[in-house]
Amino acid sequence: MTSYNSFLEVRNLKKFFPSKNSFLAKNINWVRAVDGISFILKEGETLGLVGESGSGKSTAARALLRLETPTSGSAYFKGQNLADLSELELRSLRKEMQMIFQDPFSSINPRRKIGEVLSEPFAIHGLKENVHESVTELLNQVGLSPEHAQRYPHEMSGGQLQRVGIARAIALNPSLVVADEPVSALDVSVQAQVVNLMMDLKEKLGISYLFISHDMGVVEYFCDRVAVMYLGKIVEIASSEEIYKRPGHPYTEALLNAVPGLELEKKKRNLKVRGDIPDSANPPHGCSFHTRCPIKEKQCEEMEPALKEVASGHQVACFLK
Amino acid sequence: MSPIELDVRNLKVSFSTPQGNFSAINGISFQLHKGETLALVGESGCGKTVSALSILRLLPELPAKITSGEIIYSGKNLLSLNAKEMRKIRGEEISMIFQDPMTSLNPVLTIGEQLIETLLQHKSLNKKEALLKSSQLLGKVELPSPEEKIKQYPHQLSGGMRQRVMIAMALACEPKILIADEPTTALDVLIQAQILDLLENLKRESGMSMLLITHDLGVVSEIAERVMVMYAGDEIETGPTKSLLKNPNHPYTKGLVSSRPHLGINRKKEPRLTEIPGNVPNPNQRPTGCSFHPRCNWVMEKCKTQKPISETLNPNRQYSCHLDPGTI
Repeated sequence: MTSYNSFLEVRNLKKFFPSKNSFLAKNINWVRAVDGISFILKEGETLGLVGESGSGKSTAARALLRLETPTSGSAYFKGQNLADLSELELRSLRKEMQMIFQDPFSSINPRRKIGEVLSEPFAIHGLKENVHESVTELLNQVGLSPEHAQRYPHEMSGGQLQRVGIARAIALNPSLVVADEPVSALDVSVQAQVVNLMMDLKEKLGISYLFISHDMGVVEYFCDRVAVMYLGKIVEIASSEEIYKRPGHPYTEALLNAVPGLELEKKKRNLKVRGDIPDSANPPHGCSFHTRCPIKEKQCEEMEPALKEVASGHQVACFLK
Repeated sequence: MSPIELDVRNLKVSFSTPQGNFSAINGISFQLHKGETLALVGESGCGKTVSALSILRLLPELPAKITSGEIIYSGKNLLSLNAKEMRKIRGEEISMIFQDPMTSLNPVLTIGEQLIETLLQHKSLNKKEALLKSSQLLGKVELPSPEEKIKQYPHQLSGGMRQRVMIAMALACEPKILIADEPTTALDVLIQAQILDLLENLKRESGMSMLLITHDLGVVSEIAERVMVMYAGDEIETGPTKSLLKNPNHPYTKGLVSSRPHLGINRKKEPRLTEIPGNVPNPNQRPTGCSFHPRCNWVMEKCKTQKPISETLNPNRQYSCHLDPGTI
C-alpha cells in the first residue's frame, strides 16, 4: 500500500486560503479550495478533472505542482514527494512537469517575440547549445513555421498562440503536462485542431496529461479517466466510458445532462440542478451537494458520504448509489 | 409561418480605422418571425454582434458606419428614425441582454435602482410602484428572495443571478423582440442550462421573438427554431435548426458540426477530431472570392475569385456556396 511507485500519486491534498470578513475581524475563515483529494495518474494516461468554476480544479493542479504551497497532503511524482522538496530540487524537477494555460494572450509575454518565448525554458535550465535549432523544431512540432519565431504574440491568432503555449510546455520533454482549460478560450473551429495536436504529441512524446476542463464533451473524448470535483472534493472517479454510460453521482449526471447536445437523443433521466455552487468558505453540512441535489434524502444533510468503489475502478461519493 | 416581426435587408456595416476602412458585414438579410427563436451563429469577428448592435442602432457612429440596407420593424425603417424615436424602440419594443452580466450592470447602483430606471423611463409609474414591479420582475426570472436582492449590489450576486437580473431588466417593458448576445457563454454549464430553460419559458409565456447570438451549436440545437450561420461578415447558410445541422450544404457549417466532440463519441472509432484547417481571417485581410476558400476542403478555382451568391434551395433553406447541394 505504501509504495509510491506510481507515476503521479496525490494523497489527501489540501489547500486552504485565509479569508477575513473585515479588516478587524479576529477569526480567520478558511476557504477550503481543495479539501483532501487523492488520485493516481498512471504513466501515459490522460486524467480529466472536471467541475464548475469554484470547484477547486485549478487550485488542485497548482497545489500538486507546488505552484501554490499545499496546506497538507502529498503529491508523489516518480517516487518523490513534491511537497517535501526544496526550491532547488523542485526547479530541476520542473523540467519534467509543465503546464498549458487557458488564455494564451495572458500567459505569453506580449513584449517578446515567439522565438524568445520559446528559448526561455532552455535558458532557465542552462541548456545553451543549439537553442535556435530546438526552437525551429518545436515550431514544426506544433504545426507552425520557423518564421513565426520572429513574430510578436499580437500578430498571431488565438489558435496559433495556443500552439506556442503548447510548444513552450513541451520544450524540455516533460513527462507530465497539466493543461488547464487549454481550448475553452479558442474559436470553435480551432478547438479541434488543438485537441488533435495534443493527442499527437502524447503519442509521439509519451506525455501523461492532467486535463482540466468544464466541458464534458471534450473530456469524455480526450481523457482515459475522469475525476469529477465539487467544492474541493472528488465526488466521482472512473474511466471516461464508464462515467458517460453509468454516471454514479447526481452531480456528474447533471453535468452530462447540461451539455447542450447536437445529437438530439433522448436523455435518460433529466436531472436538473437548482441554484449556484455554494461558497467554499462556508460549505454545506453533510454532503456538500445536497443543497442542489434533485434526489437528496434526509441522511445527505447530516452525514458526508465517502468515496466508495461501486465497480472496478469506479468510485462514487454518494449515499444513494 | 407566422408573420415577420423584423426584416433585415442587405445590411452592410464598415469600420474606419487608421489602417483603412474595412467591412464588418458585407450585406446580410434575414427575417425574424413572430414568436420564433432565430440563432445567428459564427466565430469571433464574423459580424454577429455588429448585426445585433446595428438593429438597436447602438454602434458608435465613428468608427462604425452602416453603409447600406434597411431594418424594417412594424412598417418603419429603424435606420431612418431620429434619436428620440429610436429611444422609444429600445427597451420598450426591442431589448437586449449581453454576454457578461458583470460588465453590463452598473457596479455602484443597487439592483433595484437599475431596474426602476428602465421602468421610470418607459412607463408612467411612480418610484414606489416601480420598486414593487421590480421585485415582481425578479420573481418572474426565478431569482430567490427578490425583495432582498433589489437592495443588493451586482458584486453580491453570482454570475447566474446577475444574468437573471439582466433578463428581468430587458423584459421590464415586455418587448416584442429580445436580442440575446451570447447570454450563457460566461456561465458554467449547469447555470447555462438553467438560463436557457428560463429564456425558453419566458418566451413561450410572452410570445416574444428572440434573436440569439452564439458560437455554440449545442446551445442552438437546444433552443433555436432557425439558424443563420455567418462567416467573415457574410451569411453562409440559413435554415431550420434540425435540417441544417443534419444536412449542412456549406462546408463551413459541416466543419462546425463535425469538429465538435459530442458526448458518446468513441476515441477508438474516431481517433482524431475532424478539424477545419487554418484560422479565422482578420477583418482587414479578408480573402477574395468566397471568404472561406483558404480553409475549405472542397475549394475550386472559381471560389478564389468569385463570391458565391445566396441561393434558395427550398423556401426554408438558403446557402452561399459554388458547390451543388448534397455534394458534401
